Amino acid sequence: MSLLEIEDLTVTYGTDDVRVHAVNGVSFDVEKGVNYGLAGESGSGKSTAAEAILGLLPGNGRVDGGSVRFKGQDLLELSAEERRDVLWEEIAYIPQSAMDALDPVMTCGAQIRQAIQKHRNVTDAKARERIRELFDIVGLDPDRINEYPHEFSGGMRQRVTIAMALALEPDLIVADEPTTGLDVVVQDKIIDQILDIQERIDSSLLLITHEIGVIAETCDELSILYGGTVMEQGSVDNVLVNPTHPYTMGLKNSFPEVEQLSDDPVAIPGSPPSLGAPPTGCVFADRCPFETEECTAETPPTVDLPNRNHRSACHHTEQAAQMRRDAADPETWGVDPSDEDASATSDEEILRVDDLQKWYTTSQPLLDQLRGEDPPKVKAVDGVSFSLHHSEILGVAGESGCGKSTLGETVAMLEEPTGGDIVFDGKSVEEYKRGGMKEFRRNAQIIFQDPFDSLNPRQTVRQLVTEPLRIHGIAEDRQEEKAAETLERVGLTPAEEFLDDYPHELSGGQRQRVAIARALVLDPDFLVCDEPASMLDVSLKVNLLNLLRDLADESDIGIIYISHDLASLSQVSDRLAIMYLGRIVELGETARIVDDPKHPYTSALLSAAPEKDPTSDRERVLLDGEPPDPVDIPNGCAFAPRCPEASAECRETEPTLDEAGDDAHSAACYFPVDGTSHDTGESGSLSSTTADD
Amino acid sequence: MSQFQRFLAKRIAIAAGLTLVAVSVIFFTLRLLPGSPFTQLVASGNLSEQQVNDIMALYGLNQPLLDQYVIYLKNLVTFQFGYSIRQSRPVWEILGPKLFNTLILLVPALVTTAVLSTLLGMYAGWNRGSWLETGSIVTTTFLRSTPVFITALLVIIVFSYNLELFPAFGMREITASPSGFTDTYLSLDFAYHYILPFTVAVLYYSGDFLLLARNGIIEKKGSEFLKLHRAKGLTETEQLMRAGRNSLLPVLTYFALRLGMIFQGLILLEVVFGWPGIGRQLVTSISQQDFPVVQAAVFLMALAVIVMNLVADVMSAYFDPSVSAGGGS
Repeated sequence: MSLLEIEDLTVTYGTDDVRVHAVNGVSFDVEKGVNYGLAGESGSGKSTAAEAILGLLPGNGRVDGGSVRFKGQDLLELSAEERRDVLWEEIAYIPQSAMDALDPVMTCGAQIRQAIQKHRNVTDAKARERIRELFDIVGLDPDRINEYPHEFSGGMRQRVTIAMALALEPDLIVADEPTTGLDVVVQDKIIDQILDIQERIDSSLLLITHEIGVIAETCDELSILYGGTVMEQGSVDNVLVNPTHPYTMGLKNSFPEVEQLSDDPVAIPGSPPSLGAPPTGCVFADRCPFETEECTAETPPTVDLPNRNHRSACHHTEQAAQMRRDAADPETWGVDPSDEDASATSDEEILRVDDLQKWYTTSQPLLDQLRGEDPPKVKAVDGVSFSLHHSEILGVAGESGCGKSTLGETVAMLEEPTGGDIVFDGKSVEEYKRGGMKEFRRNAQIIFQDPFDSLNPRQTVRQLVTEPLRIHGIAEDRQEEKAAETLERVGLTPAEEFLDDYPHELSGGQRQRVAIARALVLDPDFLVCDEPASMLDVSLKVNLLNLLRDLADESDIGIIYISHDLASLSQVSDRLAIMYLGRIVELGETARIVDDPKHPYTSALLSAAPEKDPTSDRERVLLDGEPPDPVDIPNGCAFAPRCPEASAECRETEPTLDEAGDDAHSAACYFPVDGTSHDTGESGSLSSTTADD
Repeated sequence: MSQFQRFLAKRIAIAAGLTLVAVSVIFFTLRLLPGSPFTQLVASGNLSEQQVNDIMALYGLNQPLLDQYVIYLKNLVTFQFGYSIRQSRPVWEILGPKLFNTLILLVPALVTTAVLSTLLGMYAGWNRGSWLETGSIVTTTFLRSTPVFITALLVIIVFSYNLELFPAFGMREITASPSGFTDTYLSLDFAYHYILPFTVAVLYYSGDFLLLARNGIIEKKGSEFLKLHRAKGLTETEQLMRAGRNSLLPVLTYFALRLGMIFQGLILLEVVFGWPGIGRQLVTSISQQDFPVVQAAVFLMALAVIVMNLVADVMSAYFDPSVSAGGGS
């Protein structure tokens, strides 16, 4: 008997007009001690399935059929009270957004104690002892148990929820996107932590995520969900290495990986199905390149593939090998790869940033103000220099809090620089500020992270996209035409269908496209993209990256792309700048940085990115600690306290960017990493040519 | 100095500054009004020029304005409000009992409604879309938007004139002349007169608390941390309490501010029920241009609002762990 047996689970949500069929007959088993992954894009029903298992469905959600057997007992048949007893004692939960999953007005320790005392009759002192022990296990300081959630960073808060999940040593831990919203380094540490602990208490893990890479690294078995149905399931090694379902193949194609610079990720065309009615036929059929009549007519059953732990719901599994070969070709997915590597960057500089600084003043006590002491400064950007050419994409990477977003906002002149100079199109911003700001604004555009917040909800797409034209008084008689052209250029075709929509009527990907269209409608020469893809699903992300690449190549735009996701950065950028605490620690051509990182921080970042191939073993370089307090940056190299290579020299004097490498690739490090210390799978061919000088 | 002490010191300094501004405004505004308390006496020809000057000198009203202002401030610091011009009694003797009458009516009413309406509002927010939610919102909004004297008159008509359950007017029987605290406030007669104005005040204040609590709960309801509480196996009630605790801050702040404003009394309520409170006294004194009484009354009201603002700030810092950490800026 398996620990958890889900059979034919069906969940629907009631909305104003229709019932949404979110989960349609999902079945899978989780054995004792096994890590099980549920993968899929947003809207695939993976989180709904997890909520149904835990009994956490929101008020309008309803389990319409099927069973959830835990240790042989159907959880759906239990009374509310019996169900509460099972929760946490037997099934614990690690929630999605670490930032707001903890009760803000309760100390972290008290929240864990609540979980313990709810189920077991223990004294406060005993519980306290256990909480200290748990904090220690997850790598938090046991003396901090009486602190409130806001005193911890995002990664640490997620550790608190993990500690909470461990408290009663449950048999099953359900983790719903436990690392979404955390940056790669923290994500890597958290995954490592979950695995370590789960091994220790010998529980099973049900991991829900959209990142195939995370599943490939942590899970033994998985199910791939799409449109609320299982597309393919089985052991991770079988499913991800030899997928038999076209959806899995497409999903795998669209997942960008750091090291595979050569093959561009390919997105699955189309958009997820609307689930207003229970699906008839294969839900993936209308996006599937191998679709036949049979597919739309009849729902394919989940069939066991012979002699291995692998099941697939496709009518054409017998042709899997052929489909795999075809799926590897982008043309199968309607993508034309012909303009490959047309990205010759022009020599003409569009932007030059010289020793740019942006400091923020923090508040200080009145007495210190009166004494005339300098207020403490947060040096968000501290002496950054780089240049950007036409048709070039410069990727800026780093952990959260490294100043990359401030850098983006400062070069777009949304923030006043504290020091240094920005030269845009041959003219210093000082000149623009003397009356030419409007011209600068027209040529330099920025796209923000969150398309849900950056579009005015009261304006239609038409108003949103024509607004910049109205502000700058451009093309007054044909503004609408221009808006429509731009919308089609960013892939919202036909534009007429979207012009009268309000942002809330669009999907996340469409909204981000509108935000991009808004920036592009002015034909800017320079674009700052601040994590534009972080809220999007893999295939939408790939679409966006390809779109930006095309824009740079065809419209000669210089783009700064800011992200913590090195995998997508390395796909899209010509050059990379790695930032740490307000400084660029490594700058150079993407291929050379990825193949042969010189700065230990870069190599740690690179090694933290998960890989989708479960067979490759990745060597983890776990960084110790968190970035230091930006108010109180240590002398010398800012990275020294976390650096495995640091010597006394590093702690005393700060290395400059020309310390190692050459013009095309330089790093601010006294002891650049040699060769390929991280596991690239393929050797860095460029490593030998750039010895440190 | 700890962060919290610094925060407190800052807030107290601000409160003191505000009080100074308030008392100055009262002082000069009253002096700017046309006429003086004695104009009427002079006009009726009962007093000679000499007598008027003597009286003015007695009250110090012949001194330069600035000197009067300084004396006024000095006296306020020691809570000496002076003598009423009309009644020739110390101001505090007049205002004290009136203020007490107002507070004994409105403070219990406010506390009652704050507790009951907040709980009801939380429950209504938790059960969003239920008849209870819709019904409670409609009722309290109606009560809140109807002028309080209309509600009061309605209550008087129904319970006093038609059903003849409760008296319509005053704090006690006209014939009664109780002496001492116990006799005045702890008698059956008082309770009998108390019920109607108390009920109207409770109803009048209920809407704000109910809506605040309901909105707070609705805002928190879908939040991730409640989902985690639910996953931990907390019962519905326990979850509601956590959501309530998290949305308590606006309610508490509003309560503190309201409590400060209570010192002004509910003038219309006091008039309709003939309740001898501070609001009614203030209106009378203004029309009589009884400067010392008006000054003292307005000072007390302003002070109460400012002090309760301070209390609200401190409570925010106490109940929201992330407020004091920011140094209160």
